[in-house]
Amino acid sequence: MASKLLRQTLTKTNRTAAIRCFSTAASVAFPSEYEYPTGITMKGVKISGRPLYLDMQATTPVDPRVLDSMLPFYLSRYGNPHSRTHLYGWESETAVETARAQVAALIGAAPKEIVFTSGATESNNISIKGVMHFYKDKKRHIITTQTEHKCVLDSCRHLQQEGFEVTYLPVGSDGLIDLDRLVKEIRPDTGLVSVMAVNNEIGVVQPVEEIGKICKEFNVPFHTDAAQALGKIKVDVEKWNVSLMSLSGHKIYGPKGVGALYLRRRPRIRVEPQMNGGGQERGIRSGTVPTPLVVGMGAACELAMKEMEYDENRIKGLQERLLNGIREKIDGVV
Amino acid sequence: MAASGAGVPMRREVLQLYRSLLRVTRQFCDYNIREYSKRRTMDAFRDNKNLRDPSQLSAAFSHGKAQLEVAKRQSLLYSLYPPKVKSIMDF
Repeated sequence: MASKLLRQTLTKTNRTAAIRCFSTAASVAFPSEYEYPTGITMKGVKISGRPLYLDMQATTPVDPRVLDSMLPFYLSRYGNPHSRTHLYGWESETAVETARAQVAALIGAAPKEIVFTSGATESNNISIKGVMHFYKDKKRHIITTQTEHKCVLDSCRHLQQEGFEVTYLPVGSDGLIDLDRLVKEIRPDTGLVSVMAVNNEIGVVQPVEEIGKICKEFNVPFHTDAAQALGKIKVDVEKWNVSLMSLSGHKIYGPKGVGALYLRRRPRIRVEPQMNGGGQERGIRSGTVPTPLVVGMGAACELAMKEMEYDENRIKGLQERLLNGIREKIDGVV
Repeated sequence: MAASGAGVPMRREVLQLYRSLLRVTRQFCDYNIREYSKRRTMDAFRDNKNLRDPSQLSAAFSHGKAQLEVAKRQSLLYSLYPPKVKSIMDF
């Protein structure tokens, strides 16, 4: 008691500390010294308001309807979906399975074929390195393109260092690959063809249906990175004949930090897991499934399915307005 | 949960729902969400203007009521964490 009194008198608890606790700033205060009532000053630039965001290919804001579906799982339904003994676990597991079905419905797959990961980068890593390591005795060759995402190119370089052979297909001036060149490059020991459906930098839509047909003919697994394609063009794993597909949550107005991997079951494609652990997600990606993020991704996929037609009409109208408006005023626009 | 199968909505109820949706979406402090929700409700009500089948009508009406609840919650939530500076489009 005496030591407590001593400590209280020695440490000066000034009143401003108490007042600061009740300030209107959020209790986890971010250092927002760049935002003032008059404007924003950051990196030597002064602007009077928050800029209008147009970089939707990099990431998208979370839709309020998606956020609404995620919040209960942060506030009260916070159980681990792998806990089998109590209500919290059961309700989280039902939520994860519902989300799985929603994601599967958007791409035309069965819910059992979806594995939740931490993003499209992890899904790409699992697909490329997992497939090649699993079939490393018989298959030593991968075919990919030069305009793939950095994670795909980096995984291929890692495999090259391990001794696999990689062919990087060049793209034409319109961004599409040459299908005859692809047919020429396929060898008996080709283990995987990886072509992204929609490029994230130049926005080209590759002819995935034809590539799928070629791969089926030669019986080569086909992996596509559909992170940018999801929710914007019609994705159908049966028509495209893909064996593996990487999906990302934060490109379809969902939360960041979640993605999915589609693994075909008929014919079954086997991968070696990159994350070892308790065998969650069929052993392919161990680790507790983040329920709120996964529920958010499921809600985002369901929204994307409902709103795809409306969004397409709107974007087409805006695109035509932009192109026609520019072409009227300036000549020589390509 | 909102009561489902509330029966075929009358014209007055549909208009009330439309007005309350527009009123709620006007309160969003984020420019993008405000404009998108306003445009989406107008387009959705315009597209469903000619529905005659009673089951479709009540399904669309209950969907609209559910979206109104979501919008009410979310506009409150977004107003609790406003950015300190307004969007440039709000000037």
